[in-house]
Amino acid sequence: MKYLLAVLVAVGGATASLVAQSAGTAVPGTAAANGWKVPRTPDGRPDLQGVWENNSVTPMTRPTQWKGKASLTDAEVQELRALVAKSVDQGGDAIFGSFIQLALNLKDTGKFNQVSYDPTTGNYNQFWMADREWDNRTSLIIDPPDGQFPPLTPEAEARRARGRGLGPTVEGSESGPRGRADGPEDRPLSERCISYGAPRTGTGYNSYAQIVQSPEAVVILQEMIHDARVVPMDGRPHLPQAVRQLHGDPRGRWDGDTLVVETTNFVNGFQGSTPNVKVIERYTRVSEAFINWELTVIDPETWTQPWTFMIRLKRTDGELYEYACHEGNYSMVGILAGARADEAKAAEAAAKKGSR
Amino acid sequence: MRIRIGRATLVATGLSAAIVLGSIASVFSQAQTYRAPRAPDGKPNLTGIWQVMNTANWDLQAHEARQGPIIALGAAFGIPPGPGVVEGNEIPYQPWAAAKKKENGDNWITRDPEVKCFMPGIPRATYMPYPLQIVQSSSTILMAYEFTSASRVIRMNSSAKSPAPAWMGWSIGRWEGETLVIEVTDQMEDTWLDRAGNFHSDALRVVERYTAIDPNTLDYEVAIEDPKVFTRPWKMRMLLYRHLEKNAQLMEYKCVPFAEELMYGHLRKKP
Repeated sequence: MKYLLAVLVAVGGATASLVAQSAGTAVPGTAAANGWKVPRTPDGRPDLQGVWENNSVTPMTRPTQWKGKASLTDAEVQELRALVAKSVDQGGDAIFGSFIQLALNLKDTGKFNQVSYDPTTGNYNQFWMADREWDNRTSLIIDPPDGQFPPLTPEAEARRARGRGLGPTVEGSESGPRGRADGPEDRPLSERCISYGAPRTGTGYNSYAQIVQSPEAVVILQEMIHDARVVPMDGRPHLPQAVRQLHGDPRGRWDGDTLVVETTNFVNGFQGSTPNVKVIERYTRVSEAFINWELTVIDPETWTQPWTFMIRLKRTDGELYEYACHEGNYSMVGILAGARADEAKAAEAAAKKGSR
Repeated sequence: MRIRIGRATLVATGLSAAIVLGSIASVFSQAQTYRAPRAPDGKPNLTGIWQVMNTANWDLQAHEARQGPIIALGAAFGIPPGPGVVEGNEIPYQPWAAAKKKENGDNWITRDPEVKCFMPGIPRATYMPYPLQIVQSSSTILMAYEFTSASRVIRMNSSAKSPAPAWMGWSIGRWEGETLVIEVTDQMEDTWLDRAGNFHSDALRVVERYTAIDPNTLDYEVAIEDPKVFTRPWKMRMLLYRHLEKNAQLMEYKCVPFAEELMYGHLRKKP
């Protein structure tokens, strides 16, 4: 499950748009182009309310096949789409990883590798995944402009070399080795039904969020795990640095027609950072159907410069469902009991062997 | 002038008529004399951080103080007394249900979903000993509860139906003058109403009424209806107080780790 989370996080996902590559500039080609005006709340702010989904196929980093290529032509998108449609087996393993990479590999090698992330027990069928959004972007990362992560700092390189990966550095806050199940704390936060992270950027599976706005606070309610990120809009300071929360401590303000949310005080890192990361989100509604959601990740202990990725959230008419994860977490019992059964079987076999 | 109230007729003239009218009006509108500041759409603004100051979560009915369940915690964890929040102090159980309630209460620690960090449902989430936050918009009101990061979306003036039972139920809201009225249905039968073992079935229907009675206080009235468990509908009533301290906010009380040992400890690897 930890691998799954890493894959989901690494891929991110967004519906692309014909958007400028650099972060922080005005979004071109939308309102002015077709006369669309953003709907407003009674207090005059852009109305971002409703339920939004993130089901894009765009990968986090630009695949090597597209080096130097900021966007695809419509014909190129259709070609990939058709390749995937021909090859995907709805009854086959769920594709949590990069659709685009699979499609590109198919084009290059003729092989479509729809294989489970968990070869021991298998996983969901592809049927359970949401229909994906295709567009012309070649990466979610818009800064650096080559669509790759910026260089790591020497400390981060050292962490990776020590086998810590870029994982969180707070002990006890994430799972141990993937297979270990001595106790519930060995399992990832998602398997324990504690958190799927915030901001949640995973694509294609339960990616829904509902936004509710008042002048005093904006709420981003993530369906997984029924988590309301309540963002005060009154300019108050963050909690003291010594106080950490799994979902950090968000603070919001309006920058013209863009909602800016700055989150600090994390327990764990974000996208491979240390817990001292600062994440700045910018939500801009660019059409009836889309919000451009830019996330800037700042951690001088991990990357030599801040970097920004952009996800296009698409409006949906669906309701959020209650994700009562812990209340129905029969998996945890199964995982732990299964591990104990394996151990008992191994002990029995060893005893038999020893007694011959 | 003649003033008719029910079958009685009062006759008053001049100044005394005005006095009589005034006092009748104030009797009928005592909950509505305060007019809360308006939200941007002109409705009473209930946005803010609120919390009860009572022992309803221990026991909805009037109760004396008594020994808590953990001897070592002594007076730090005794069960505090409370005058109760139930109108008439009676919860009208059917006979089988009254026995079940007693059994629940006697086995509180092993049965109460709160102990396992399960979402508390409505109305219990309102009177847990943790703050709640109301964020009010026009078509949607969101209530976030600090306990286990529970939350619910109240769909205003909606006819949408619940897709499935939920721990926090399905909430449809509307305004009746100064009062926010919320109907909650489709709640999982597993939620309790307090630590004393008061419970319900999947037929539970809850109607909440929130009315601001001054700038920092809400009157909270709850009607409970469950024909599978009770002999008639009944009500509870209490106050919610606004958190006035500067920069008040909900913090994270993600309690699953606190419940893991008691829930899964028996499956832990033996050293």
